[in-house]
Formats: sequence, structure tokens, C-alpha cells
Amino acid sequence: MSKWMDKMLGAVEAADAATSVAGVAPEDVALCDIPGAPALGAESASITPEIVIDDASPEQLIETFAARGWGDGLPLVAPTEERVEAMLAAGCEAQDPDEIIAVLPPRQGQATRRLLAVNAVLAGCPNGLLPVLVSTVRALAEPQINLRGVNATTHPVAPLTIVHGDAVEALGFNAGLGTFGPGNRANATLGRAIRLAMLHIAGARPGEGDASTQGQPSKYAYCIAENQKESPWESYPRAVGIEAASAVTVHCGENPHNFHDMENEAPSAILDKAASVMATLGSNNAPVSSAEFFIIFGPEHAATIAAAGWTRRDVQSYLFERARLTAGEFRRAFDVVQYRPWLADLRDDEAMPITDHPDQIRVLVAGGPGKHSCVIPSWGMTKSVTQPVEP
Amino acid sequence: MPPENPVRIYAPDGTVGTARRSLAASPSTLAGRRIAVLDNGKPGAAFILEELAGNLSRRTQSEFVGVFAKGSAATPCEDDLFQDLVGRADIILTGTAD
Repeated sequence: MSKWMDKMLGAVEAADAATSVAGVAPEDVALCDIPGAPALGAESASITPEIVIDDASPEQLIETFAARGWGDGLPLVAPTEERVEAMLAAGCEAQDPDEIIAVLPPRQGQATRRLLAVNAVLAGCPNGLLPVLVSTVRALAEPQINLRGVNATTHPVAPLTIVHGDAVEALGFNAGLGTFGPGNRANATLGRAIRLAMLHIAGARPGEGDASTQGQPSKYAYCIAENQKESPWESYPRAVGIEAASAVTVHCGENPHNFHDMENEAPSAILDKAASVMATLGSNNAPVSSAEFFIIFGPEHAATIAAAGWTRRDVQSYLFERARLTAGEFRRAFDVVQYRPWLADLRDDEAMPITDHPDQIRVLVAGGPGKHSCVIPSWGMTKSVTQPVEP
Repeated sequence: MPPENPVRIYAPDGTVGTARRSLAASPSTLAGRRIAVLDNGKPGAAFILEELAGNLSRRTQSEFVGVFAKGSAATPCEDDLFQDLVGRADIILTGTAD
């Protein structure tokens, strides 16, 4: 018998009768998302500013938070009552601040507008972003997101938030040049506020509620905006059946994988590069055929493709046809897969699509001048959600 | 000495929406108890957990009643499978991660 097995069996035999997991106190376990644990069923949860610090200096605040296991490691803005009230008053003034709008796993933290305002202040959000944060958190709690898995997995997955519609300009989001990058307060702080909500409310702290082996930079902040002004296609929300002045989409996946094409006028040549990025054995899309891809085209690539008469549907269909490896390559790479049954009937030498339906290839435009676009693979067992912005 | 300019701030984590639960008391002996394995779906999980259950049952005179697999490593155990396991076993061995 191996040493580890012997050690484990010894621990089980030696376990105290009152504690079935050696070294884990019952009160620690009770805070986890235990199957069968009864939900409290409350509709509201009030909080008050109970922590007293000597002063609101950045040094004091970051030390206070670090000592309690809070924060993302970066400087924070003190969530005083005045700042939180001002955040609530800018867009959520007509709503109950203490209404529970989502329960976030694995900690099962109760997200209220006031609590989200606290995290928005901490992140440095300008007043006015709270309705977008509330809507994003509401979307993250939808069952198809599988937030428990997203937060707890060893995969580096982070939720990407895409802002659409009137909110982009009204709230100052950057849908253009460098949309994924630094330099814009709305993109940066909304993305950060979402991560702080995951850390604090959902309990997705590395090593506790987040088992990500390596993490990824987008776990700090991951927010862009759709560049509808320069898109040749209808807005993404409308394409998925959402009619709203403003909306948010959440897709839980990897960091963006760039592809560039500076040479070609033919859509197929540009899209072949996207397909080659998609058809890799390294992403979770490879063993999970229902997983989505987000293809974020820079405006110039989108214009070239659309000028040739290609619709969004044509792009999806072409990528579905081209993003393939042989079935044998997939089979040699994975023992455990989640595939549609028809994929199992392909011969080893036949081309097998990396996703089992064109609808799972999501297409939109963001970014500015230049010949770059990107592919964002999925975590796998999750589906994107698009919802109207509602406070 | 009290601070000159104390500031009152909110905690960022709020309240938890699931009732706190204590762990069930462990049995004083495993002899005669039924042990099942819930395979988490990761490569190698069933092998390791089945070995562990087999060794445990031999050393404690408990009964190993089998390995049961949930739908995916990435999703929680289905309710009907969980209820089935509760009826079949007194102890369920499972694991997480890779």
C-alpha cells in the first residue's frame, strides 16, 4: 500500500468522534456550499458600517483588509457610509438597497445593492456604475453560468463582462482602442468590482473558494464594451433576443487569444486564423463540445468580412466548419469528455468540430483601429448570459 | 490612545444565505457500515477512491457497496443520485479537484 494511502487511512481511524474531517472545525465546513444545506429564504439582508479604522489612508485600509483576508492586493477606497450612500443614490435610488438580488456560491454570500455598492466603492467605481454591477451579478447567478464551478475550479476561468447599448457612452466605457486594456476608469473599476464581489461575497479566494492552479490576469478585472458604432452587424443583445437600451453579457472563460491578419481581403483567410486559434487541444472547449467561444472582432476585420456580404451567421457557420481536428486527435488527448452522441460516431480520421453547434460561436465587435481580433475560449460547463441593465 | 480621526466603514462580505450546519457526528466504529464512492469525474478519481474504500473496508470490517459517478466533474452531484446514495451507504467517499 502506498504511503499516502496508509497515512490517509490512519487519519480516518484516528479521527475524533465529534469531527469527521481531521483538522477541519465544523464551523469552517458550515460556511461552505454543502449539498442539501437549507437556504435561509430571506428576501433582504441589512449591513451597517461596523468596522472602525484609525484613518482612511490607503496604508491603513489595505492593512485592515489584508488582515481579514479581504481585498485583491491593490489599494482600495474606504467604503464609508457617505460614499456607499452616494453610490446607491446614482441609479439605484428607487430600489430597496437591502434586497437580496443573488446568492453567490461557493460561500453562498447574499448580494444586496448596498453590499455591491460597498464593493463598487472599494474598487474605485465612479457613481453611476452600480446598476451595471447589479445586473452583472444578477447574470452571474443564473444557473447556466454554474458560478459554483466557475469560482471553485482549478481552471483559470474568469467572468468576462461585456457592456452593450446606451450605457457604454453614458457611463464612459471604452468600446474602442484598447478595450481590454488599462486606462479607462469604467472598464477597469467595474471589472474590479465584479472580482471583489467574487472574492468577498462569493468567497472565491485563492485556496479557499478558488482552486485555480495558476489563476490568470483577468481575475483582477475583465470588462469590455461592444463597439456597436463600428459594428456591421446588429447589436449582440438583439442577436440573442434581448431588446433593451442597455445590457450586459457574461461569458466565463480564458484570457483573450489574439489573432492578426494584415494581408487578406477574403473573409475566409481572416477566419481561418480564428479557426486555428479555436481548434486547440489545450482549452476546455476540446473535451466539452457544448462549450462556447466568443470571437471579438476588431472593427477593421469585421468591416472586411461584412463588405464581402458575410453575415454574423455566415461567420458562425464558417468557423464551425473550419475549427476542427480529427476525431482521433481528440480521442488520444482525453479520457473524460462531454460530447454530443453524434460526435462519438465519427471515424478517427474524420474532421471533428471543436464545438457541436454554430450557435456556440458568439460573434461581436470591440476595439479600435488595427488588424487584430481575438478568441475567448470557455471554461466548459457554463453558458453565457445576456440581460438588460436594470437597477 | 483613541484615534484622532476614526473612520467607520462597511465590511465587504455581508451575510451568508445558507443555514450554518454542523458536521454529523462520526460513527464510533466503521465495522458493519456501508461505504460508497462518489466518483467526481476527474481522470483517476475512481481508481484512487475505490482503492481507498477497498482498503478501508478491509481494515475496518465495513462493506464496500460500489462506485457511483455524477454527471460531470464541473457540476454538483445530482439530487436523485445523492438521495440514492444516502439510502445505499452510511459513508460516502468523494473528492474534488484533479
